[in-house]
Amino acid sequence: MTEPPIVETTELRKSYGALEALRGLNLRVPAGSIYGFLGRNGAGKTTTLKILLGMVRPTGGNARVFGLDADAPETSVAIRRRTGFVSEDKDLFDTMTVEEIVRFTAAFYPRWRSDLEQRYLRKFELPAEKKVKDLSRGMRTKVALLLALSRGADLLILDEPTSGLDPAIVEEVLQAIVAHVASEEMTVFFSSHQIAEVDQIADRVTIIDGGRGVVEGAIEDLRENYRRIHLVFDGEAPKTAFRAPGIVRTRRKGRTLSVLLSAGTERVIEEARALNPVSVDVIPVTLKEIFLETVTKED
Amino acid sequence: MLWYRSWLETRWRFLIGLAVLMCAAAGIVLLWPKVVELLPVASNLQVSGRIGKQIRESVELQREYPSYIWSQWFGKNLTNMGTMFAALLGTGGLLSQRSGGLFMLSLPVSRKRLIWTQAATGLAELFVLVLVPSLLIPLLSPAVGKSYGWGDVLVHSACFFVVVAVFFSLASLLSTIFSDVWRPLLLAIAVASAMWYLELFALPRPHYGIFRVMSAETWFRNGQLPWQGLLASAAASAAMLYGAAVSIIRRDF
Repeated sequence: MTEPPIVETTELRKSYGALEALRGLNLRVPAGSIYGFLGRNGAGKTTTLKILLGMVRPTGGNARVFGLDADAPETSVAIRRRTGFVSEDKDLFDTMTVEEIVRFTAAFYPRWRSDLEQRYLRKFELPAEKKVKDLSRGMRTKVALLLALSRGADLLILDEPTSGLDPAIVEEVLQAIVAHVASEEMTVFFSSHQIAEVDQIADRVTIIDGGRGVVEGAIEDLRENYRRIHLVFDGEAPKTAFRAPGIVRTRRKGRTLSVLLSAGTERVIEEARALNPVSVDVIPVTLKEIFLETVTKED
Repeated sequence: MLWYRSWLETRWRFLIGLAVLMCAAAGIVLLWPKVVELLPVASNLQVSGRIGKQIRESVELQREYPSYIWSQWFGKNLTNMGTMFAALLGTGGLLSQRSGGLFMLSLPVSRKRLIWTQAATGLAELFVLVLVPSLLIPLLSPAVGKSYGWGDVLVHSACFFVVVAVFFSLASLLSTIFSDVWRPLLLAIAVASAMWYLELFALPRPHYGIFRVMSAETWFRNGQLPWQGLLASAAASAAMLYGAAVSIIRRDF
């Protein structure tokens, strides 16, 4: 029997007036995964995360976390009791000291882990007496992460956790997340537009574009299944539409035809050979290429 | 902890208000001998019309210490400053919070509880803001050789609090519509000023005005509490606070 997903959205929609932020998003985040939610700025990532936390109300479809309705006020509180969150702006109470905000937050969580709190205070070298407003962006991120990780949460929702940080702190933050997940049983769902960090720590990913999920799967599977077939012709590349399933995008430029596919490499090669190309190369693709091919518009 | 957070958000407004009102209350008591000296001069003022009538009435009220205290403190200084500080305490909240708004919403607390805690903290502060400076009056009165009843202070303060809470609630409601602290504050003060103007110059039966209920004029003049006005004020405050809660619960952040 398959375990129920920790996060599940079905045909999730959100409109702000005429602007459709989400247009039927379907997500399934399995328990225990580090799930990357990749998309360009304005793709609908933050709106999705806010719906999961009850900060934004959907206009259609539904969102469930731990099997609970994210839109109902009572269940939303229960969801937040089991969820750690780091917002994109690392929004915290600026006038509190690090120690005060830790004490303040701990009071809301019966499963607060003082051991983890102490561990991360030491690991991140956070100045307990310093006010949050006087901290650097990197330090702020670490405080936000400490508060999220020490809650004894089952789910960690991170909205662009490394945005605006220097590479050394990005690495430190990512390592802390991975190490935490390795030692505690939890699920991480994080949004990002940094492909490298999703590639580095996530085991599953959804690429969102224009409010819809355009690619979903385990990163290993994507690497395994996605291929680019590069065809070179004697003269102008033919205008052709491949019939094989799994074609993501075809680009034609001069004598070359480049086909990105998500499955069925053999069938596409078969079709391609019928066009009499001079050469056929099958090339593995990176997550970055998949992302760019799926979220950029056709020329 | 939510109380603590609400307190942190409003403490400076509260403490400044408390200091200002305490100074004002003490000043009114200690100025009494000077007022007595000036009374003969004020009695000779010749002003006609409705304003003139009000000035003459006001001068008459200064002749006795209890009526002087009522008119200067409960009728003027506390009314003006108390209304302003009530509006000031009512502003703020999730929408205009400069930091920590999303963090607060990520905690396992319902929005209903957030807004009620904030309202309860603000109202408690407002009550202290009204009561403590008013208690200075009977406390300091012996310094000018007079006395003022503790019971009167409690009745006037209670009436004042119930009515001034309307402006607190109005500012709270406006704070769920505008995302800054200035517009709710200025609008609430503008509404209060407009009501004051109407009551003073345009209302045919000014005894029913909100500021008359606020100063418990009927209690001062004939020992009767303005029950209708108090109930209407409490109902208006409750309705506006409920509106503020509904607005916050429905809002996207």
